[in-house]
Amino acid sequence: MTKKEDVKTTRHTGKTIDTTRHATPFDTGNIPGPKTARAVMPAVSGKILARAQRPLLIVGSQIHDKEILERVVTIGRRGIQIAAAGNAYKSLTDQKELDVHQVNMHALAAYLCDPSWHGLDKKGNYDLVAFFGITYYYASQIIATLKNFSKIKVISIDKYYHPNANISFGNLKNDIFTAALDEVIAQLPKVKKNF
Amino acid sequence: MKLLQQTRTKFVEQEEKLIVEGPTPRPGLIDLRNWDYRIIDTYNPLYTSQSDTCDYCTFGKCDLTCNKRGACGIDLETHSAREGMMTCIMGAACHTAHARHLLNYFINRYGNDHPIDVGPTSLNAPVTEVIMGFQPETMGDFRPVLDYVEEQLTNLISSAHTGQEGSARDFESKTLHAGMLDHLGMEVAEITQISCLGFPKSDENAPLAEIGMGILDQDKPIVICVGHNVVASGYILDHMDWNGLFDKIEIAGLCCTAHELTRYNKNTKIIGSMSKQLKYIRSGIPDVLVVDEQCVRADILREAKELFIPVIATNDKCTHGLPDRSNDSIDEIIDDLVSGKQAGALILDFEKVGELVPRLAMKIGPIRKAKGITAIPTDEDFKKLVSKCTNCLKCTRDCPQSLPIADAMEAATNGDISKFEHLHEKCVGCGICDNCPAGIPVLNVIEKASQRIIKLEKGRVRIGKGQISDDEIIKEAMNLELGITPGVIALVGCSNYPDGTKGIYDVAEEMLERGYIVLTSGCSAMDIGLHKNADGKTLYERYTGKFSRGNLLNAGSCVSNAHIGATTIKIASILAGIQTKGNYEEIADFVLNAVGAVGIAWGAFSQKAFAIATGCNRLGIPVVTGPQGAKYRRALIGKPYKKEEGGIMSTNDDSIVNSEPAPEHLMITAETKDDLLPLIAKLCIRPGDTSTARAVKLTHYIELSEKYLKKMPDDWHIYVRNETDIPIAKKEQLLKLLDEKRRTINIDKDKEKIIGNSLLKFGTPVHLTNIPPLCEEV
Ligand code: SF4
Ligand code: SF4
Repeated sequence: MTKKEDVKTTRHTGKTIDTTRHATPFDTGNIPGPKTARAVMPAVSGKILARAQRPLLIVGSQIHDKEILERVVTIGRRGIQIAAAGNAYKSLTDQKELDVHQVNMHALAAYLCDPSWHGLDKKGNYDLVAFFGITYYYASQIIATLKNFSKIKVISIDKYYHPNANISFGNLKNDIFTAALDEVIAQLPKVKKNF
Repeated sequence: MKLLQQTRTKFVEQEEKLIVEGPTPRPGLIDLRNWDYRIIDTYNPLYTSQSDTCDYCTFGKCDLTCNKRGACGIDLETHSAREGMMTCIMGAACHTAHARHLLNYFINRYGNDHPIDVGPTSLNAPVTEVIMGFQPETMGDFRPVLDYVEEQLTNLISSAHTGQEGSARDFESKTLHAGMLDHLGMEVAEITQISCLGFPKSDENAPLAEIGMGILDQDKPIVICVGHNVVASGYILDHMDWNGLFDKIEIAGLCCTAHELTRYNKNTKIIGSMSKQLKYIRSGIPDVLVVDEQCVRADILREAKELFIPVIATNDKCTHGLPDRSNDSIDEIIDDLVSGKQAGALILDFEKVGELVPRLAMKIGPIRKAKGITAIPTDEDFKKLVSKCTNCLKCTRDCPQSLPIADAMEAATNGDISKFEHLHEKCVGCGICDNCPAGIPVLNVIEKASQRIIKLEKGRVRIGKGQISDDEIIKEAMNLELGITPGVIALVGCSNYPDGTKGIYDVAEEMLERGYIVLTSGCSAMDIGLHKNADGKTLYERYTGKFSRGNLLNAGSCVSNAHIGATTIKIASILAGIQTKGNYEEIADFVLNAVGAVGIAWGAFSQKAFAIATGCNRLGIPVVTGPQGAKYRRALIGKPYKKEEGGIMSTNDDSIVNSEPAPEHLMITAETKDDLLPLIAKLCIRPGDTSTARAVKLTHYIELSEKYLKKMPDDWHIYVRNETDIPIAKKEQLLKLLDEKRRTINIDKDKEKIIGNSLLKFGTPVHLTNIPPLCEEV
C-alpha cells in the first residue's frame, strides 16, 4: 500500500510519481515463478540502498543518455560503488572521482554468488545490489541467479518491472523514471559515505 | 526381411574391420567425467533459470525458488543443469537425425563402400577419430558412429527422467557429453554431403553467391527452399539443370539449406537467415516453398496459405500436418495445389519433388503474379494502419529485441519512415508484435516502410569451403605460434542479434583488420555478407577464404561447424604430434592450453547452437554468446581471483607451474559488441603462448578495450609472465603500471626490466597440460 506522504510529483510536469503501478514483467513472457518482486515507491528503494553495509550499483548499456547518465554519476558521487557492465564504462571514463569498475555482468553474478569473493575493490562481497540501465532481458536472466543462489538483496531501480529482484518499480514512462531516480538519490547521504 | 538381414550382416562386417585405438574410444557416459570435472571446477556453472519451477512430472508443478527441493528431491541447481542437458540433447539429436537421414540415403544410393572424400587431409574425419578411435574411410564406416551417438543420446535422455540423475555436477558432465556427440553428428552429416554431392573441398577460392532480400528477379516463378537438409532441393536443382530451367525459374534458399544449395550448384542464391523467413513469405515473392528440416517456422503453412503459396514438405520430421502425397501422380498433386484444393503436400519421394516443384512453380507463378498477392499493405492502408497505434507498447513488450515500434508508428504518421527502416535492420522477423490490440499487422507495416532498403539488400557470401586442409594449417603454423595471427575466431550460430546484422559484420571486420582468422558458418556467415564498405565491397570480396592471417572463411552450414573443432584437433595432431585416435582428453587439454580459438555465437537462439557451443567447450574452446544467450540458463565462468594458487603442469619436466586464467571463461555472454570485442581478444590468450604471441595478443586486448570501452583493461597485467610478453609499443608505460599492479613481479626500475616473477617461472614453458600423459608419444 502506498502511503500518502510517499507520493511525490515530477518537478516540471507535476505528474504523480507512483512507481508501484504497472508492476507486471516488461517482457510479457518473463514470468519466473511464485516469488516476484514487491513493487515499491522510490523512497523505499532509496532508504534500503542508503542503509546497506556494502551496496553495489550495476549499470549497463542503456545509461548513455544524458538524463540517465547524470543520475548514475550522482549516485556514484554519494559513495556507491559502480559496476559498469556491457559498454557502460565508455560514458563513465571521465568520472575520475567515482569508484567505477568495468565488469562482465555474467561473471559478476558468478562472483557475487561466491561468499569468498573479495569484491571489486578487494574489501569483501556485497550485501545489496541495485541496478538499472541494463538490457532488460539480460538483466532479468542474470539477476535470477542472485535471487536463487545468493543471499544478496537485489533492488531494481530500473524503468521496468523486474520480477526477479526483491523489490522493483513498475514499468515507468521516461519522466516518471528520472523523477523516481531523483527520489532514490534524495535518500542517499549527501556527504560521501564510506561503504 | 531378407534385405534387412543382409544389411545387418554388412554392419557387423563393417564394425569388425574397424580397429579402435586410444585410451577412451567410444566414451560412455562417465568415461570422460574426470575431464569434465576439471572443466567444471575451473569454469563453474552459473545458472540463470528461466523458470523457478519444475513441471517435468505429476508430483509437481514444484516451486524450486531459492534452490528449494521439489517433490522428487531435485533442487533448482540440479534441475537447471538437467534443463541445460536437455537443450543440448535436442540440438545434438537434430544434427544426428540429419546425419542419419543423409547417411542412409547416400549409402542406399552409392553403397557402403563409397569413399569419404573431403579433400587433401591426413585426417578424414578428425572428430570421429578422436572420439571413436578409428579413422573412417567409407560411408559405411560412419554407421557405427551414428549407432554410438544414438545409443549415447538415448542414455542421456533417460538420465533426465524423474528419479534418475541427482547431481548437478554429473548433469553438467552429461551436458558436455551431449555437446561432444553433437559435433560427431555434425561431422557425419557434413562429410557425407561433401563426399557424395561434390561440395567444395577446402576450396579457398570457392565462388561467391548472391545474398539478400533484393536479389531475385521477381518476374520469374520463384522457388524458395527452407531448412537445412539438401537432399530434396538437390533433386530440384538436378531437374532444373537437365531441363535448362535456370533461366526460367529463380531458386534460392532460406537458412542453411541455402548454403548447401550454393555448394551444390552455383546457379542458386541465398535470401538469408531464419530471421528473413517470415518477412520473405509475407512479401508474397515466393511462388513455391519447399521445406526440409530444422529452423522451419511452425506457422509456415498457415502463413503461406494466406498468400496462396503451396508448401512442399520433404522430410518426415517436419510434416506440418500435410497429406502424404508421395505415391500420387505429379499432375494430380499440381492440380490440387494450383486449384487451391490443398495448401501443400508431404512428398518423401525426392525424384518426384525434383520434377514437381519446377513444374508447379511454372504453373502457379504466373497466376500468383497476375493477382499480385502480398501481405504488404498498400500506401493508403499503411497510412491508416500507423494512425491506429495507441502507444500501448504491447508490441515492444512482446518483441524479443524490445524494439521501439510505437515511436516508429508515430514518426510515420508524420511522414517519416526512417525509424521503421532502422527497425527493419534490427528486427528478427518473429512476428509476435502482430498480437497488437489495435489490430495492426506490425511486421507487415515495418516491411512496407522498408521497401526501399529491402530492394537494395544485395550482398555476397563465399560458398562454404568445407574442411581446413593440412597444408593450410602447416603453412599457418608459424603465424599462430608467433602471434602474427593472434587467434582464430569462429563467428557462428543464429541471427537473434542484439544489434542487427551490422553488429556481427562490425565484429568480423574489426578482427580481420587485426589479423585474426575469422571462420564462419550458418546464419552468421550469411549476415556478414549483407554489408559493404565505402567501395561497395563485402568482406568476402575483400578477404580470401584461406586459413591464413586476416582472412575470412565460410565453412558452410550449421553442420559445417564440425570443421571448427576438427581444425583444432588437426592443429593438435599436425603441429604438436598428439595422438588423435580415441584420445579425446589429451587433445582437448592441448586445445584448451595452447590453441587460441574462440567461438562467438552472437545471435544464438536454437538448441543446436547451445549444443555446438557445449561441444566446443568440452574440446577446450571458449564460447561467447550475445545477451540472449543468458536464456540458455547456464554459463561456465572462471573465477580468476581463485586461480592465483592454481597450477598447471609443464610437460618439459612434469613440474607444476602457476598459470594465469587463460582462457578466463568457457561459456559467457557479452551485452554489447563493445564489451564483446576486448573479451574475444582476451579469450584468445592461452597458457601455452610464446612470448611474442602473448605480446601481440595483449596489444589487441588493450587496444580493443581502449577503443570500445575507453579504458585500459583492469587485468592485462596478470597475463604478463616476463619481459618479452609486454607489448613493445607501450613498454615503458606498461612497465610502470606493472610495478604498481603486480606484486609478484620484480622490476628493475633503472633498467626498465622485469628481473623476477615469484608466481611464474621466468620463461614459462610452452607446452602445458592439466592431465598426465595418457598415450605413448607418437
Ligand atoms: S501494440 Fe499496436 S497499438 Fe500498441 S504500441 Fe504496438 S503497434 Fe501501437
Ligand atoms: S517481428 Fe521484429 S519488431 Fe516484431 S516482435 Fe519480432 S523482432 Fe520485434
